[in-house]
Amino acid sequence: MQSPTPPNAVGVEVVATRPTAADSAVIDHLTRTAGRVLAPVTYLVKVRLDPVPPATSMGWALYVDDFRVPKYWEYPEGVYFTTVDPQFFQEHRGGRLRFSSNGTDFIDTGLVLSEADVVSRDAAELPDQADVLRSG
Amino acid sequence: MTALKNPGLPGGRSFDTVVYASSGLNYAGVSSLNQYQVFDTPDPAFVTGRLDISVFANLGASVPWPFTNADVPVNGLLCIPRGRGPFPLALFAHGNHDPFENSTPGYRYLCELLASHGILAGTIDVNFLNGFNFGENDARAIVHLEHVKQFQRWNSTHSHPLHRKVDLDRILLVGHSRGGEGVGHASLFNRLNAIQPDAFSPVVPLDGSAGLGPYHFTLSAVAAIAPTDRQYEPLTGPTVVPDRYFLIHGSQDGDVSTFEGCNTYSRTHGVDLANPTVSDGRLKALLWVIGADHNQFNSVWAPEFSPGPVISRADQEQVAKVELGALAQLLLLGRGRYLRVLKDHAAATLWMPAGSRLVSQYQDPRRLFAQHNQEGLAPPEVSAPVLGTVASSGVQATRQLVDLVNAGAPVPTITLRLEWATLGGRFALDINPSTLPADQFKTLSLRVGQSTEAQNPVGQDQDLTLEVSCGSRTAAVRASSLHRLLYPDVVFGTGKTVMQTLRLPLKRLARRGLEIRDLRSIALVFDRRPAGAIYVGEIQLSD
Repeated sequence: MQSPTPPNAVGVEVVATRPTAADSAVIDHLTRTAGRVLAPVTYLVKVRLDPVPPATSMGWALYVDDFRVPKYWEYPEGVYFTTVDPQFFQEHRGGRLRFSSNGTDFIDTGLVLSEADVVSRDAAELPDQADVLRSG
Repeated sequence: MTALKNPGLPGGRSFDTVVYASSGLNYAGVSSLNQYQVFDTPDPAFVTGRLDISVFANLGASVPWPFTNADVPVNGLLCIPRGRGPFPLALFAHGNHDPFENSTPGYRYLCELLASHGILAGTIDVNFLNGFNFGENDARAIVHLEHVKQFQRWNSTHSHPLHRKVDLDRILLVGHSRGGEGVGHASLFNRLNAIQPDAFSPVVPLDGSAGLGPYHFTLSAVAAIAPTDRQYEPLTGPTVVPDRYFLIHGSQDGDVSTFEGCNTYSRTHGVDLANPTVSDGRLKALLWVIGADHNQFNSVWAPEFSPGPVISRADQEQVAKVELGALAQLLLLGRGRYLRVLKDHAAATLWMPAGSRLVSQYQDPRRLFAQHNQEGLAPPEVSAPVLGTVASSGVQATRQLVDLVNAGAPVPTITLRLEWATLGGRFALDINPSTLPADQFKTLSLRVGQSTEAQNPVGQDQDLTLEVSCGSRTAAVRASSLHRLLYPDVVFGTGKTVMQTLRLPLKRLARRGLEIRDLRSIALVFDRRPAGAIYVGEIQLSD
């Protein structure tokens, strides 16, 4: 059975931010394993929800088309996930954001993923993730 | 009930309760987190370090935690039995909930019970992973294991009050809700020296070289209370719990309403088709509590509104105390006779709240399947290496990959469906006795459950006859003499078919003159109800 009320997503945006130490380790890992040099940027994909549902154990997995976002987190206006790989946005450009509580039934949010702006600024000029998330 | 004492009642041992927590916490500085101030002033002997779980989890941005994911605290409430020890260790972890409500104290009622029986029992703080988030249950597992490591450290620290008081060979991890999924992952991670959490992450050492681990603890069992399943999935696929596994879940659960822990249970200690006679040597058991909800297993969580519990909080806690108490008596205190409670919940009837309706399953590590049904969806057959044929008359017998409990996820095991429309139908395994050394086992065991399909009258128990033949002798036993086959508690959708394990002692058959080593036929005869549809798990001999 589906949880009674699926999340109501009302907006999505991608914000380039300064990587955390953990993000930097992922960037190093992907640079090593994928053979591509990744810029020191972490992209926050913020999905605004109205309202933000209460915390329950039953969860709603977030999908971009058929790709299940492994993990997402709460911020005051919704949920967000991160990626350090701009290719993610190329691969999933225009992908439908969908929620599912069971992997078989999907709730289409009506939102699609847009391609992140190419970031050429120095990492030091990028905002902190905490600031971006705090500001809504 | 012979000499067994109610494991849900307090034991005779006194205990002390302490708060352990990381140094430098200042929840008092954040008014919205006032419920956590108890961790600002831990017992001076029980001050802990911090954990960097940033590879596994963010903390979100909706709660002003006074720390980051690179320095989360190791906090808990601990009941310490008085005496020399060493004492077995049980650690409880809560699940996802409003992060502004401290979920940790919700298992004190269980900790106090276990401590009174001589078990170090703690309930840990994982609240910083709570919120409207998803996929973080690997981090819950890591935090749980790191708490065990903390006890290992105290046990080896000469000056510490717990020096040589922790029996590290007897450890039970219990998790509720997402924490219940977490203990399954913890069981898996405990055996690893490193893990790659997901496809994008680097490999994380769990050998102590980067702060996490080493683990490799001797886990006596992991127990899941109303768990989720597969919210986190390792790169190696859905977690298969390698340790002994116990599962408890309520039919009125309004949060994890899908009983998806049943899928964890099915994956765990399943049959290996390449080596069907080889067991991994570990038991699993489950208890389905009709009328219990999700939140009342945690004493500080308010009952959910929908559907709402049918049984009282006191009764639900009593069920939890009896079952987890029995598990602890068996596996932590070495009192083997409590195994009978896991084998059959009827052994605990006198200790349970009056009128309790329960369904239980038990898989013994010593078993030989006469029919496990996992060969595929072809017509049912006797399972190798046992040889024989299947004969059915007046019964439609089909194997189905069916979601019996509305778990809503890919179903990991095949079940046999039997449907009959007139009295006298029969489904039989005719067996070559030389391939089934029945005299080496104690019990004929199978799982049976009725569905809400139209063939089954609403609200009525189902019934059938088990007929076992050896040579010229046949014994017939009513299934209902072993256990009721309850009509499902229909709460959501079509209701959940939770099969009941029926265990027929082979001694009982021997007393009726059957030559057990010459067992030639096991039949389900549908002569008790004019029609019906049931699902059957594996038919096996076991201990």
